[in-house]
Amino acid sequence: MTLAAKLTGPGWWRAALSLPIGFLFGAGLVTGVRALQGIEPAIDGEAITTTSLLVVPMAFLMGIGCFDYWFRWGSGAPTVPEDHSGHGARTWHDYFRVNTDHKVIGIQYIVTTFVFFILGGLMAMVVRAELAAPGSQLVDANTYNGLFSVHASLMIFLFVIPAFSGIANYVIPLMIGAPDMAFPRLNALSYWMLPVAGVMMAASFFAPGGAFATGWTAYAPLSTETPLGQNFFTIGVQFAGASSIATALNFLVTIITMRAPGLTFFRMPLLVWANFTTSLLVVIATPFIAGSQFFVLLDRALGMNFFNEGNGGDVLMYQHVFWFYSHPAVYIMMLPGFGIVSEIVSTHARKPVFGYRMMAFSLMAIVLLGFTVWAHHMFVSGMATWLRVPMMLTTMLIAVPTGIKIFSWLATLWRGVIHLRTPLLFALGFITMFVLGGISGIMLAVIPVVVHVSDTYFVVAHIHYVLFGGSVFTIFAGIYHWFPKMTGRMYNERLGKIHFWLSFVFFNLTFGPMHLVGIDGMPRRVADYAEQFATLNAVISVSSFFFGLSFLVFLFNMIMSWRRGSQADANPWRAHTLEWQVSSPPPLFNFDRIPTVVGGPYEYGVPGAVHGTFEERPEKIAPQRGERVGATTP
Amino acid sequence: MESAALPAGAAPAHEAEHEHHGPPEANRSSRVDPQLLGMLLFIISEIMLFAAFFTAYFFIRVVLDAPWPAEGDQLPIETGIANSFILFSSSGTMHWALESARRGNRLGLKLGLLTTLLLGATFLGVQINEYVFLSFGPADSAQGTIFYGLTGLHGAHVAVGLLLLSFATVRAFRGHFSREEHRGVEVPGIYWHFVDIAWVFVFSSLYLLSSQGIL
Repeated sequence: MTLAAKLTGPGWWRAALSLPIGFLFGAGLVTGVRALQGIEPAIDGEAITTTSLLVVPMAFLMGIGCFDYWFRWGSGAPTVPEDHSGHGARTWHDYFRVNTDHKVIGIQYIVTTFVFFILGGLMAMVVRAELAAPGSQLVDANTYNGLFSVHASLMIFLFVIPAFSGIANYVIPLMIGAPDMAFPRLNALSYWMLPVAGVMMAASFFAPGGAFATGWTAYAPLSTETPLGQNFFTIGVQFAGASSIATALNFLVTIITMRAPGLTFFRMPLLVWANFTTSLLVVIATPFIAGSQFFVLLDRALGMNFFNEGNGGDVLMYQHVFWFYSHPAVYIMMLPGFGIVSEIVSTHARKPVFGYRMMAFSLMAIVLLGFTVWAHHMFVSGMATWLRVPMMLTTMLIAVPTGIKIFSWLATLWRGVIHLRTPLLFALGFITMFVLGGISGIMLAVIPVVVHVSDTYFVVAHIHYVLFGGSVFTIFAGIYHWFPKMTGRMYNERLGKIHFWLSFVFFNLTFGPMHLVGIDGMPRRVADYAEQFATLNAVISVSSFFFGLSFLVFLFNMIMSWRRGSQADANPWRAHTLEWQVSSPPPLFNFDRIPTVVGGPYEYGVPGAVHGTFEERPEKIAPQRGERVGATTP
Repeated sequence: MESAALPAGAAPAHEAEHEHHGPPEANRSSRVDPQLLGMLLFIISEIMLFAAFFTAYFFIRVVLDAPWPAEGDQLPIETGIANSFILFSSSGTMHWALESARRGNRLGLKLGLLTTLLLGATFLGVQINEYVFLSFGPADSAQGTIFYGLTGLHGAHVAVGLLLLSFATVRAFRGHFSREEHRGVEVPGIYWHFVDIAWVFVFSSLYLLSSQGIL
């Protein structure tokens, strides 16, 4: 291919060319506007950087080829008959370009998110090294603030949320018997916005004044007054948010319009239900964080007064808008994990999910209640006092549907034929850790308790129990469970178990003691601490390093098994759901013929039970009267 | 079950075949058109984005009980009313364009889209002109911030709507769309109606519900 062809066709060459063009365009635009408005100086580094943060990523996305088809469509050119050249991976190169295959995008998501997981994890290691002893160890206080802020932002926006999108991207179309997602090109765009957001957040360390240091919550007016690095968060979140809204919309349309014949809503696997409800949360809630960051950006860049108390702004409004997204975001980071655990517990314990319908309804209940609890993050913020007790009550109420799910998993395990493989180990680890995190969550809902422990390490312990012991354990469980399907190879079971036990033990040794120092009053987000916390912090830091090392076992297992693992069968777990009824890895277009669903997804132990079939004319399609959808009597 | 459950494509002998034929036709499990559903869900997201800005409005105006507009500021109510009629009539011409497409009336489709584009662009132009001559700026007061924030957000949506409609217009003039296939008009049209309805709320809460307003 000639250089000219490389530079005009979609791909990395054109993307590389588009970066300087985008920069020059943005810099010229902002300088021109400033000159016209008579703002001195016309050439301003901060203004150019802020504009570039918006324009350069768009130029990159155009260069790499995310918009090519739509430009062609919009210009009215005759649409090309789809030749599927942008679909599927024949070599590893295909993973590094705009690809419309949901399986490729799923892998792209998972690998990218784990890269940012490692990056965020390393930052956590530096944080723990700094906290190993009182006083200053490695970094100054400002860098420390930047480290924990970028750590949290990467883990939340670039790991937990998109890692679930990645797993769902791979599995959901297969699970519902669809050849792909409803909007494959939008799906590709959603993926490519993700590395943009991550690189932007990580690059904030190079900004003058250091990385954004306001925590992942970026409370105003602190965030409207900090140096330039804050803009990397404010704008990065917009890209991550747009990516997750587009993916959620795609999931919803796919699940509603592309289910296989016979796959009624109450025959859907619970992972599909979980992503359906999560996507509802994303579509409804995510615009609020976009709004909150728009406000901050407008205040910072254009001198507006959303949070400028002196000119009549309202600082507390930031927290209301922010938490109206960010509390539902907690469920966005947990519901897909609930789905994964339902699949794994049922499959590896060879039992139908106990109370299938209640599992689906409790997901819906969490979605509805999730919008009524946001102000429990603001009990000590000085908000209207009458809001406190209602928020406490709804927060306690939301533990009920979550409790239903916990008991349902336990009842599913009860008298099951339990195969204690790595995915199930992680699922069980999740159940125990999430219950502990849930209990400290209930404590934090109680106003007198939270007034005491607010902004202490108790809160840090709580969120790591629900987000690591909860979400990340389910991500690991899901990766191990679908590894054979995604790669066509088996992972090493022994290494998987070692990984589980190392991470389970050191997870508890790291975050368990944080409850104690938190109740004793050690504040979070401070680089130094009082002498009395020294012993426990040393224990926490040492454990955290081993905890970090345990991830290397996982990494080694994944890389070696992907390259040299033994061939996996189509259905190594003898699961019933549709993704296991095609080869591992699945064919290019998932199915030769769309399967027909004739029964529930989890009829393990029921003789002759079938979920989906590829027969031309199966005898029964519609649900029969009194059909046992996941019902079970122990 | 096992034999029936394995598709032919799993066997290596059929892999070459896979390269040639496309994906199997997906089952349609809902009567709703996917593009239409996608647009409706996107509009839910957009409504929530407006809701975030209206939350800011609520906190400044209701919780902090700020005067509206800020003291000494003037809102151009008359121009605003005239401009609103321009925008609302564009919803009518949009509907005309879509109905023409449904009936196979190409001339009506083209004229309808062109008029809609023109009316929308006029609205945006008047709005920008208003910004130039307003007595207050976005940085002067919290009220000004909210005013520019909400009208600016709406203006950005008008601009996106115009972009989508210009796609549809170009395609209409280049001979696309028919009695059967006109989603490319229908879907941006829905977005356009949403932008108009959003203006009802923005206009009423910023202009009409003010100390100089008529409500």
